Amino acid sequence: MIDTLKSRRFLHDFDWLLLAAALLLSAVSVLEIYSATQSQGDNYHLRQAAWVAIGMLLLFISASLDYRTVSEHIPLLYIATVLVLAYTLIFGNTVSGAKSWVSIGPVGFQPSEFAKLVVIVALARYLSELHGRYVTVGQMLKATLIVGIPMSLVVAQPDLGTALTYVPVLGLGLFIRGIRPAVLIAGALIVVLLLPASWLLLRDYQKDRILTFVNPDRDPLGRGYQVRQSRIAVGSGGVMGKGLFNGTQSQLGFLPTRHTDFILSVVGEELGFAGIVVTIGLLMVIIVRSIYHAQTARDALGLFIVMGVVSVFVFHSLVNVGMVIGFVPTTGIPLPFLSYGGSSMLTAFAGIGLIIGVRRRRNVN
Amino acid sequence: MRLYDQQQQLNGRVTVVEYFVLTAFAVLVFGFWHHQVIREGYFAELADRNRFREIKLLAPRGRIYDREGRLLVDNRPSYNIVLIRENSPRTSEETASRLAVGIALPEKEILDRINRHRKEPRYQPIVVKEDVSLADIAFVKSHRYELSEISVEFQPRRRYLGSGTAAHLLGYIGEVTEPQLTTPEFLESKVGDIVGQFGLERQYNSILRGKDGFKRVVVNNYGREVDRLYEAPPLAGNDLFLTIDTDLQKAAEETLGDRAGAVVALDPQTGEILAMVSRPTFDPNLFATRISTAQWSDLINDPKKPLQNRVIQSRYSPGSVFKVVMAAAALESDVVNPLHTLFCNGGAVFYGRTFACWKKGGHGAVGIHDALVDSCNVFFYTVGRDLGIDRIAHWATSIGLGRKTGVDLPNEDPGLIPSPEWKQRVFKTNWYAGETISVSIGQGAVSTTPLQLTWAVGGIASGGRLRTPHLVKPETIQRMGLKPPEIQEEQYPIHQSTVDIIARALWGVVNESGTGTRARVPGFDVAGKTGTAQVVGKQTIAVGEQFQDHAWFIGFAPYRTPQIAVGAFVENGGHGGGTSAPVAKAILEMYYFKKTGRFHPPETIGISRMN
Repeated sequence: MIDTLKSRRFLHDFDWLLLAAALLLSAVSVLEIYSATQSQGDNYHLRQAAWVAIGMLLLFISASLDYRTVSEHIPLLYIATVLVLAYTLIFGNTVSGAKSWVSIGPVGFQPSEFAKLVVIVALARYLSELHGRYVTVGQMLKATLIVGIPMSLVVAQPDLGTALTYVPVLGLGLFIRGIRPAVLIAGALIVVLLLPASWLLLRDYQKDRILTFVNPDRDPLGRGYQVRQSRIAVGSGGVMGKGLFNGTQSQLGFLPTRHTDFILSVVGEELGFAGIVVTIGLLMVIIVRSIYHAQTARDALGLFIVMGVVSVFVFHSLVNVGMVIGFVPTTGIPLPFLSYGGSSMLTAFAGIGLIIGVRRRRNVN
Repeated sequence: MRLYDQQQQLNGRVTVVEYFVLTAFAVLVFGFWHHQVIREGYFAELADRNRFREIKLLAPRGRIYDREGRLLVDNRPSYNIVLIRENSPRTSEETASRLAVGIALPEKEILDRINRHRKEPRYQPIVVKEDVSLADIAFVKSHRYELSEISVEFQPRRRYLGSGTAAHLLGYIGEVTEPQLTTPEFLESKVGDIVGQFGLERQYNSILRGKDGFKRVVVNNYGREVDRLYEAPPLAGNDLFLTIDTDLQKAAEETLGDRAGAVVALDPQTGEILAMVSRPTFDPNLFATRISTAQWSDLINDPKKPLQNRVIQSRYSPGSVFKVVMAAAALESDVVNPLHTLFCNGGAVFYGRTFACWKKGGHGAVGIHDALVDSCNVFFYTVGRDLGIDRIAHWATSIGLGRKTGVDLPNEDPGLIPSPEWKQRVFKTNWYAGETISVSIGQGAVSTTPLQLTWAVGGIASGGRLRTPHLVKPETIQRMGLKPPEIQEEQYPIHQSTVDIIARALWGVVNESGTGTRARVPGFDVAGKTGTAQVVGKQTIAVGEQFQDHAWFIGFAPYRTPQIAVGAFVENGGHGGGTSAPVAKAILEMYYFKKTGRFHPPETIGISRMN
């Protein structure tokens, strides 16, 4: 099941470009985390570097796995994941209001992050085994159920931000598999009509975030504070930035959660528009390259796995990047490869590994 | 083939997704371009506003000394708790609720204070609690991270020594009001500035107030200073040197006690005011920290009006003291001559109406000397009739009544000397001849402030010389290169013989069998005149204290070329001789004792100076 990492084939088919982009982003991440937290002295940058190292390991392992074999065993993995999520919901540790963490010895992790990968493969297997031009309503419901069970366990934590990332996996998967145009339009209409109704289901702080997003001046010092400070940081960075370690917003502490959710604000402030273009460019390299791998995958299963991972990357990136300049409401969604955090980092590297694994097998048979 | 078709379809949709993703990121890159290229300047300024903070360094006001260099008003260090809303991580409401318990101030009051300044720029500190205790400071310092929007600010605070001595003339301070900011008087003041609001504090605000400094610092998000870029130190205000003699002031305050009234002592030769007392009084230290709403409304709603400086802001009928002015007018106008006498049988008829003398049965034959000594009404009724209202008004106004004296205090009342023109103007009716008779003994519409009457009597005793009364030594202000108060000197030609006759008679009031014997100071030739100002008409039978007559005594000493003139006025004090003359005596005695070395003034007043 696992090829030897030393084999020539492995190295030959390996996508060095993807790895290079991920590592460059990680380098920016470690550097800016150091910059953002040097006054705090918790060595976040060293920890992040350690996560990168472990992430690399995960990447090579998942790249060497045969995705078809993984797909065969997916029902078991899926059930195990659901059980872990249920366990988290009952025995997990509460972090910023959500029961989302479990500890194994000294290491704590967020099962909802890794669960994404399992859900991606499970959905990919289901979708790839369907026939016909379009999916039926029944098949859509089944697909929804596959994503919905683990997702609802995450919603219940309640970690709406992480749970939301499951939605594009489902949506994008169904769209690519083929949805009848009429159903697509009807679905869009239902979403539009249900949006106001969903307002009633939101919690107060969530409503607050959305209201503040719509009208940032509503409470510039309360809920709007983070975004306001982030936009000031980014805008004041200008074209070339204030220089590494010289951002006033980040160094003087005006920027909140600057090593996690708002790490891109630090990039924008210290490295300027140039730094932003390079950073987003590297993200685009990963996404465009991955999409190419999806289109050249050996089978539909590979395509759906790659696009599942891509949908997570795209969603995280769009929401996080948009949040930094106030285009999207604030949610605690990390930026892949950049935000500080083990779970997010390991998931991202493992995702890249899955994609490389699909690429490596594109020409077999 | 079928499989290949399906693959093609999937790849086609993947391409759609790819374009969608690329478009979305293009929009985001455009967003960054808009922030970082187009609006860089705007955000750079906001970033600077975050980290640069200008902190006002409040200047101490000038100190105030009495004529012997004794400190009356100085400043003490104090601290305020302030809120800076800019960069506050929470709403003002949340701040208020977190702060309330820690600094022992109701949440509502904190919010009220914040709301009063809501419209000001967010970087402007709002004072939440002033003159705080060490415990309050400790609370703020120990919650520097939890309550980063709250900090402690230094403020030199006014201290009036001698707890309330000379309150009305020193005045008080307060935050400049919005209407005041539009007046030329407070042209240089800004919102939130503490300015003089009353008394000398207000009159000499521009001299006393210093120039606030500031420092520009770099702060972090907790508002903590991490670097200092520039500092302009505050400039302390100029000191004031008064003409007031605290020994006389205290003597006057002690003798007047709790009675409502006014005492003023001045040097008629120079116009220097030596003492000025108004009762009831207030403690100006209340205004040094922000006065509470309850305390303020107590003060302004008190029917006894403790905030009013009765010496210059209240007008009363001068009563018989006015006879001094009448005597001068009559002698100078040759209406009476020193040898002229008339017969008082206890009343006389003028214009068909009987006007009574205060002494039933009358004074018998009286000349001008006896008429002043015994305060004979009938004599002065006759003088008044012969002078006529126009000449009375002319002389009274010339000698300082019915117009502002020009004392260096705000809100002086001009008093009133009635005349036919005045009556026509105000009441649109003609002057009745009978009114002239009432005016002759200081009743009717004539009214004066205690300062005016003292100034006028002192002026007559000094041969018609009137120097603008003042509280601040002009030369001390001139020395600072600032504009001193204007001291004018007026001289009305009064013959020495007239002055002699009046001074001799007023000496008699105190030293013969007159009405003012209780103002006598052995060795010091005190002269004076008592007066009783009717509160209600003679016909009304009233017994309550508030209907008692007001008691006057205006005196001066020595009776030839006087060095001091004293006015004592006790509201509802009854007869001037019994109530007010002893008050005047206490000041005259202190003056005389100091002059002859029988009293050694203390070097400081009240609590001793700090630092």
